[in-house]
Amino acid sequence: MAHKTLLGSSTSHDSCLDLWREKNDQLVRQAKVAQNLSLSLRRQQLVQDVLEGLRGLLHSLQGLPATVSVLPLELTVICNFITLRASLAQGFTEDLAPDIQRGLERVLETQEQQEARLEHRLRGLWDSVLHVSSLLPELLPALHHLAGLQAALWLSTDRLEDLTLLLQTLNGSESSASEELLLLLKTWRPPVETSDAPLTLQDARSLRDVLLTAFAYRQGLRELITGSLPRALSSLHEAASGLCPRPVLVQVYTALATCLRKMGKPQRALLYLVEAVKGESIWGPPLLEASRLYQQLGNTAAEIESLELLVEALSVTHIPEAPQLLIEVELLLPPPDPASPLHCGTQSQAKYLLASRCLQTRRVEDAAEHYLDLLALLLDGSEPKFSPPPCPPGPCVPEVFLEAAVALIQAGRAQDALTVCEELLSRTSSLLPKRPRLWEDARKGTKESPHCSPWISAIYLLQGQAWVQLGAQKEAVSEFSRCLELLFQVTPKDKEPGPASSCEHGCTSDVVLQQLRAAALISRGLEWVAGGQDNKALQDFLLSVQVCPGNQDASFHLLQTLRRLDRRDEAIAFWQRLEAQTDLPQENATWSLPLYLETYLDWIRPPDREALLEEFRTSLLTCDLK
Amino acid sequence: MAGLAPRVEYLAGFCCPLGGLAAGKPRVLCHGAEIFLSTGSELVYVYDRDGRLLTAVYKFPGRVWHLELLALGRALYVLCARSGIYCLSLDQDGRNDRDNQDGEAGEPPAPVIPVDPGACVLPDATLCAFTVLDNVLVALAQGPAQWKLQLFERPCPGQDPRPGGQIGEVELSTCTPPSGSLGEPAAPCFLPVLCCASPPGPGVPHGHVQGSGGVTLEEALFGLLFGADASLLESPVILCGLPDGQLCCVVLKTLVTSRSAPGDPKALVKILHHLEEPVIFIGAVRTEPLAEATGDAHSDCLVALGHHGRTLAIKASWDEVGHLVPELREYCLPGPLLCAACGEGGRLYHSTPSDLCVAHLAQGGSPWDPMQPTGLSVCSVVTLSVSSRAPEGSTELLALSARGRLMTCLLDPHSEAPCPTRVTVANAGRKIKELLSGIGTVSERVSSLKKAVDQRNEALACLNEAMNVSCALLSSREGPRPISCSVTPAWSRLQLQDVLTATCLLENSSSFSLDRGWALCVQVLSSARALDLDSAGSAVTYTIPLDQLGPGGRREVTLPLGPGEDGSLDLPVTVSCALFYSLREVLGGALAPRDPFEEPPSEECPPGVLPEQEGVCLPLSEHTVDMLQGLRFPGLAAPPVRAPGQLGPAGDPVHTFLQTCRGPGGQLAGPESLRAKYLPPSVATIRVSAELLRAAFGDSHAGGPLCSATLQWLLAENTAADVVRAQALSSVQGVAPDGADIRLIIREVSVTDLCPAGPLQAVEIQLESSSLANMCRAHHAVVGRLQRLVVQQAARGSSPPDLRLQYLHQIQANHETLLREVQTLRDRLCTEDEAGSCATAQRLLQVYKQLRSPSLLLL
Repeated sequence: MAHKTLLGSSTSHDSCLDLWREKNDQLVRQAKVAQNLSLSLRRQQLVQDVLEGLRGLLHSLQGLPATVSVLPLELTVICNFITLRASLAQGFTEDLAPDIQRGLERVLETQEQQEARLEHRLRGLWDSVLHVSSLLPELLPALHHLAGLQAALWLSTDRLEDLTLLLQTLNGSESSASEELLLLLKTWRPPVETSDAPLTLQDARSLRDVLLTAFAYRQGLRELITGSLPRALSSLHEAASGLCPRPVLVQVYTALATCLRKMGKPQRALLYLVEAVKGESIWGPPLLEASRLYQQLGNTAAEIESLELLVEALSVTHIPEAPQLLIEVELLLPPPDPASPLHCGTQSQAKYLLASRCLQTRRVEDAAEHYLDLLALLLDGSEPKFSPPPCPPGPCVPEVFLEAAVALIQAGRAQDALTVCEELLSRTSSLLPKRPRLWEDARKGTKESPHCSPWISAIYLLQGQAWVQLGAQKEAVSEFSRCLELLFQVTPKDKEPGPASSCEHGCTSDVVLQQLRAAALISRGLEWVAGGQDNKALQDFLLSVQVCPGNQDASFHLLQTLRRLDRRDEAIAFWQRLEAQTDLPQENATWSLPLYLETYLDWIRPPDREALLEEFRTSLLTCDLK
Repeated sequence: MAGLAPRVEYLAGFCCPLGGLAAGKPRVLCHGAEIFLSTGSELVYVYDRDGRLLTAVYKFPGRVWHLELLALGRALYVLCARSGIYCLSLDQDGRNDRDNQDGEAGEPPAPVIPVDPGACVLPDATLCAFTVLDNVLVALAQGPAQWKLQLFERPCPGQDPRPGGQIGEVELSTCTPPSGSLGEPAAPCFLPVLCCASPPGPGVPHGHVQGSGGVTLEEALFGLLFGADASLLESPVILCGLPDGQLCCVVLKTLVTSRSAPGDPKALVKILHHLEEPVIFIGAVRTEPLAEATGDAHSDCLVALGHHGRTLAIKASWDEVGHLVPELREYCLPGPLLCAACGEGGRLYHSTPSDLCVAHLAQGGSPWDPMQPTGLSVCSVVTLSVSSRAPEGSTELLALSARGRLMTCLLDPHSEAPCPTRVTVANAGRKIKELLSGIGTVSERVSSLKKAVDQRNEALACLNEAMNVSCALLSSREGPRPISCSVTPAWSRLQLQDVLTATCLLENSSSFSLDRGWALCVQVLSSARALDLDSAGSAVTYTIPLDQLGPGGRREVTLPLGPGEDGSLDLPVTVSCALFYSLREVLGGALAPRDPFEEPPSEECPPGVLPEQEGVCLPLSEHTVDMLQGLRFPGLAAPPVRAPGQLGPAGDPVHTFLQTCRGPGGQLAGPESLRAKYLPPSVATIRVSAELLRAAFGDSHAGGPLCSATLQWLLAENTAADVVRAQALSSVQGVAPDGADIRLIIREVSVTDLCPAGPLQAVEIQLESSSLANMCRAHHAVVGRLQRLVVQQAARGSSPPDLRLQYLHQIQANHETLLREVQTLRDRLCTEDEAGSCATAQRLLQVYKQLRSPSLLLL
């Protein structure tokens, strides 16, 4: 074949062009063969060969001065090359831009408009090229194809202004008034390639359809997140009505359901979700959305059931099919973002969600079981595959342990709760400040307070509560005292010289520390009450009111104890202060507390607050009547 | 510890490329009696220590970059460049047991088994490093802009590659240089290093071969470095040392992401440190002595080494109030380091091109003293591994030298000083063998050191010579220089074009010779707009290496000055010659002689050693080639430069027109070609007093007529000077480089109204050309010469005759008015539109004409 590569006459030029064309067509056919192969190594090699072949062909084409007769082929080869590279890399990245730019410069070379490329970047190049191409109609199909790839690149890199301008130019003057990108994409008609044109991996029209769907979906998702719901609804409808592979359709339906739920139309949302889970593909996002929907509707049973299904669905490892060697909608979707409403996380994250919802909705038995499952999932090293902890969007790992202990205590399994707490302590013991010396120092009254995470105090608090449940008063009181000792050593300003958990900053707030102190004091006070030592109890309750003035529970406990001790005047004075406080608008103090603490505070809440208040009111009245 | 003399045993030799093996890619692993070894080529060798023979050689489809052995699964994982990860089962009986042959035969006696592409368990051309844990495989791939850490389910031998095996991915926040043209990736010089750190506990991955990348860290250090979550989950952590110096870590259990979508780097990747040089090794050692009764010795100090010797050690300690704090120490080991390994008792073995050293990270009471590495006298080890077969209390290292020799070094800290023992017949043979291999390593070391010393000596000699030459040149500012360069312009025919060339003749009349490293730099500065002072012309610099120019030697170099591709030649052209001495060329090799195995060899010198300009530049001479030197005289009989009728572009007015249009003075030169035919030529005259010229010419022209002498003087540097002299011409017609003709007419006149003493004898030089531009250039050249002449004469102190001052004042005033007008016109030219500027330009031309033909007389 070597003799044909000489460019002596026009006939050999033609034959050379034919040769290159034949090479391109053969490579495209080879890629289509590789597409249908299942064996992935063989397939990969074949695809790599095609890629190298296209690269080589492009090298030889671009080694010669650009001519109008060869350019359609050259642009087609560039398009095939970019399509293959993008589909192999599963995404459009900036490193494809130079290939496009080179192609455009080659077009300008034929027009001797070299100066244009010095002045402009891609945007300006396209302007010049499309201006030139009006003189060269034979280039138009290939140029539109290349423009489609450019559009895909700009869509992926979120350069929507450039994209709008490009489409306006492509559509010609009649629609240049329109700013709406969706409309521009719809009205763009890439010219049909003639039947004798060189083969392509994907034609410009199908690329246009892919762009349309991908753009509508991206825009809909963006509007959904920013909260412009009606617009999001229409964009997502547009995406769903377009050319849409099944996995993408599931996501579109889920997004539609989210949108409708937020708009207050749960029944229609449910219809979309049913549609979404019908297929054989991914169930994660629709199931998560379903649980949110049921939560909003107040249907706890259905909510928990959806979450259970979600955990099950996520335990199936999804083996993706070998990607198509084309630009598909999936390639142009935004990268997965944990903040997106469609993010369904991993199995252990779903498990955590399930467990914590059970705990919140007082399904204590289930909650305990789910938490134990979750811990097993996280800690069992012999599992063939890891499952990540639910952080960072969820709580940090120590908090998961604490919630598990809380759930166990609530389910009446105090012994198990103690085990969990001990496990947590043993695993983190090396990170604690050196204990013996510190204890010594603390006894000696050293001023320096060692850093200690609040969750370590919380372990002792829960251990105490477990002992309470087991009826071991002495152990309980000693755990509570230990907890208090630690808590009062911590100054909130004392930040992080030691090992930090991934989200410790979130739970070291002053409020948490205050509430922990109050909880520990009340708990110990209650134990004193149970042991009949009302004076000691009174002391603790008084202290807890001082430590955390906003905590009404402490006040009630104090009130009750005062009454029991028959210190009536003090009780009435205190009650009056309390009444005045209750009249004030109550700020919700428990609002940002971790789940374990919130649940714990529920436990030590006096059961008959209203009755007590009523009793006081009446007794006061009788007092006045006397 | 000074008595730590290693017992080196030489096991086998492997073929290595010319220049030795490069560090970074060879690997040696040891499992029981089997040694797995790759030298960076396509082959992986399996060597049996007990039988002392090569049992198998595997040939892979690409260069082998990394080996990992999973002892439990009896599987060998091999990373091939540009191909992916292959997995071989070690139990398969693919190899034959051939008759016992000594492994020292070098080339494989065992059959070479080509590895089937089907053994590729992870096809990915971008992978650069990997490590294997019990059930996962962590790989580091090079993306277009970032490194990507990927987590896979561990593939087993013989298993089909499954795309679904990926369970996590995160991008590390490092930018690598963009890949080459059309996306072709460039081969990395340094590979990233991966190390898996595990917390102590039952969940620790086991079955790891010592030295193949896994370390177990003490709980406190682990929790401190990687956080409470990691230690609570007892998750292994992948430490990653990148070629840019970054040291980062990823908690493995958090890396599992949904559906192989990349995770959030901000949440997952933690940067521990930045070494600012390529990381070549990450490991861990135990520095504190073990408390009694405790069982396992977990490492309490994490170590990372950079290529140039920067070493980082991290320990956990408690501050005075009991907080756990990290203790970071940085040292500088003498680099460059080729490889390293961690041993027992806080020892860090590291290899440089000249020695294998051991540094002690745990030294008695003061563990953080600056480390004083002890040399072990084994040089150029490119890969190291701590063998598990050492006897109690001593350490055995497996090492592969740059020459492809596999050896073991047994280090016995308690070994007594060598005392004469009775040599029994039984161990005599062993002793002799040991001695021989000892001699082998020593001779290898000696030759490497000798090479380095020779290189340095050579470089020093070169530097000395260069110093001499520089001194000689710089000290002789006045008078003839010991090394000179003269420039002679001439026309010659190159290819199809007449070209004005400059011949530079470099003469070395000093007593030194110019050797390697010296180059003659000739800068040709074409002052395209010589009259336009604010714009610099374009410069071309030619560098001609002088290979050897001994005392008295001369070198002639001919360079083209123009016309260039567009046919224009802008005279005057300044040719400056200088000598350049490249420090990089001479010293580049010698400055990094300790690292001859670096790849590529001439990559870079250590930063800060060479000055910015990387050389010494000594200016020699500067020469201006002006119009008078560039003129050709086809009308003169000799030398015939070209045949008549081939008068170049002048024959074609359209061509001339186009060329002049393209020239810098396009607008002004536009009408020139028409003018050549229909309009009188541009004329400029200069008058010089005859007395001045006579004085200047002195005796040499005493005999002849003054006009002819003046013409000879003007054309002295032209090739036509001889003809002018021979024919005693007083006028001559020449051709400018662009083909326009120029006439030079010299005549004697007398000036009457200048001097009260009577008429002054003067010489009038008249320049005529149909091309205004050429006339200007010639005028510029003549004026330049006269200026120099006047300066010379003034220096001699000749007195001008009595003058009529008023007349002179008048002339000066006239000129100043004209110059002012020129200035305003030029200013206007800048601001006006086209029509207006045309008129202005016309006026400007007239003024210039008036300026050029003054009655000013040079005295």
